[in-house]
Amino acid sequence: MKLLIVEDEPVLLEEVEHYLGQQGFLCESAPTYLLAEDKVSLYAYDVVVLDITLPDGNGLQLLRQLKNLHPETGVVIISAKNSLDDKLSGFGLGADDYLTKPFHMEELNARINALIRRRDFKGSAVLTFEELEVDTEAHEVSVAGEKLQLTKKEYELLLYFIINKNRLLSQRSIAEHLWGDDYDMADNYNFVYMHIKNLRRKLVSTAGTDYITTVYGMGYKWTAAS
Amino acid sequence: MKLLHKTTLLYLLATTLILVAAGVTLMLVLRGLVDDEIDEELRLQYDLIVEQIRGGELPNVPLTTIAQVSQGPTAELFGDSLVYDRVQHLHEEYKYLRKTSTINGQNYQIMVMDAHVGWQEFFRTIFLVFLVMAASLVLAGAIINYLAARSIWRPFFQNLNILKQFSVSAPQPMQLQKSSIREFEELREVLEEMTHKSWQEFSSLREFTENASHETQTPLAIIRSKLDRLSQYPVSEEMAEHIVHAKSGVDRLSRMNKSLLLLAKLDNNAFTDKQELNLCEKLQEQAGQMEELFTLRNITLELSCERVRMRANTYLCEVLISNLLANAVHYTPEGGTVSGALTKDKLVFRNTGQPIGLDSAQLFKRFRKGQQSNHSTGLGLAIVQQICQVHGWRVNYGYQTGWHTFTISF
Repeated sequence: MKLLIVEDEPVLLEEVEHYLGQQGFLCESAPTYLLAEDKVSLYAYDVVVLDITLPDGNGLQLLRQLKNLHPETGVVIISAKNSLDDKLSGFGLGADDYLTKPFHMEELNARINALIRRRDFKGSAVLTFEELEVDTEAHEVSVAGEKLQLTKKEYELLLYFIINKNRLLSQRSIAEHLWGDDYDMADNYNFVYMHIKNLRRKLVSTAGTDYITTVYGMGYKWTAAS
Repeated sequence: MKLLHKTTLLYLLATTLILVAAGVTLMLVLRGLVDDEIDEELRLQYDLIVEQIRGGELPNVPLTTIAQVSQGPTAELFGDSLVYDRVQHLHEEYKYLRKTSTINGQNYQIMVMDAHVGWQEFFRTIFLVFLVMAASLVLAGAIINYLAARSIWRPFFQNLNILKQFSVSAPQPMQLQKSSIREFEELREVLEEMTHKSWQEFSSLREFTENASHETQTPLAIIRSKLDRLSQYPVSEEMAEHIVHAKSGVDRLSRMNKSLLLLAKLDNNAFTDKQELNLCEKLQEQAGQMEELFTLRNITLELSCERVRMRANTYLCEVLISNLLANAVHYTPEGGTVSGALTKDKLVFRNTGQPIGLDSAQLFKRFRKGQQSNHSTGLGLAIVQQICQVHGWRVNYGYQTGWHTFTISF
């Protein structure tokens, strides 16, 4: 998968590039409008991560150009503006998703993955992790052929973990993924704990393996059974 | 009282007074003149009679009495008397002159009379004429005055209307109508300069707020991502604690920033688009999303709603409901009850809990928190109030017998 990351803030750009690179994406970066314009006209990308506010141009303009050249490219907008107008005009121009800064890397990764699944596997999108199989179309999880009964939130949680495997996920990152960032979740991290406890119990009883490690105070990590 | 009415009324008053004075003066002068004329007439008649008596004959003139008296000559005496008029069958006023003179050695008392002008009728006629004159003068004057004043004052009133609608948060600065009257023109210039200045200051302030919030988001994103990255490394428990604290600080800051940005946008009237929406649906949707929060804290959530359709901003309605629900979850003790009821004219959220000792006005202020809680930004209810203001709704808070009540009246 080839990704282009358009972001003018070098530290953030490096961070995104680093994490998505780790996740197996082939990342290219463009810190300015002009550079991004060049790259878009020269190469085809699977997904473009696009910052709207660039010092030398408007990301929406770039989006328009991109969609003219490569209508099949997926676009995730990342913006400092939580503006409905920008969101609507972004979607109107063919963007697939919109993330507001500051966001968690895992969330961006999850969005990109969801976008790729939607685009590339029409009908059957199955993620596998060891003996686990996640059918993202039917929202079903099975362990070595045996079905795992999960609630909607547990399913979302599992998917988030698998997509961001080997990464420590903070409670907040999980909470925001499951419930959105509209509420203050700080005193409600108990939920995250509850859902993880339930998911763990189900996984252990069916698969016999606990993929989730608790890192005290910091969060949770999904790793292969060693 | 309106300016036009005031000037017209003053004019009316002045005209009436002048006309009354003129009428009275005219009456007095006329009366004096006529009186003098009658007196002269009576004197003439008297002289003629005296002459005739002197010539040796005793004239028999109607309305004249001549008597020989013993007393000596007297001075002229004018008086009024009533004489029966056989034609009109009523008593008429007459004026008489009585004087005793010595003619040919004899004392004659002679009294001559003349019909008085009917003063009452005189008065009435003059009064009527004046009344009609006064009425038409006043009416015509008032109309002319009113119309003239209205056209003169028109730019003033138009500008007054523009001024009434002026808001510093308007997208354009105020433009007033020009006038050919110098005073109005001066007023316009002063007003335009003043409002332009405040408009400019306000828009630069809101631009600053928005920009500041936006600009803060990027560094916050950097801090957060770096802290996330840091926590990927194996760290000691002590280190982990520091990272967690730093993260929660960043999270709070970014939440606060988002809330401030929303408030700034509400101040700027950035949400002008309104859609037809079903508020009941929104309420159930938001409650559904937060269901787990309620269950986990063992809070009973009771919802009742009528189908209410209204024109409002969808996004803002979602924020409004979620803020009120989040507030309820936050402040309801475990095992408590939260209820939301939507009717045609109001939306009421109630929750059990201890009194917080803040009144309605304080509660909706920015950065005001019930308990000095670390987690809440203290902006949620300020946002609720602002959203209500944008839609022209009213929000009230009250506490009664263990229940906190938030009422939004549409």
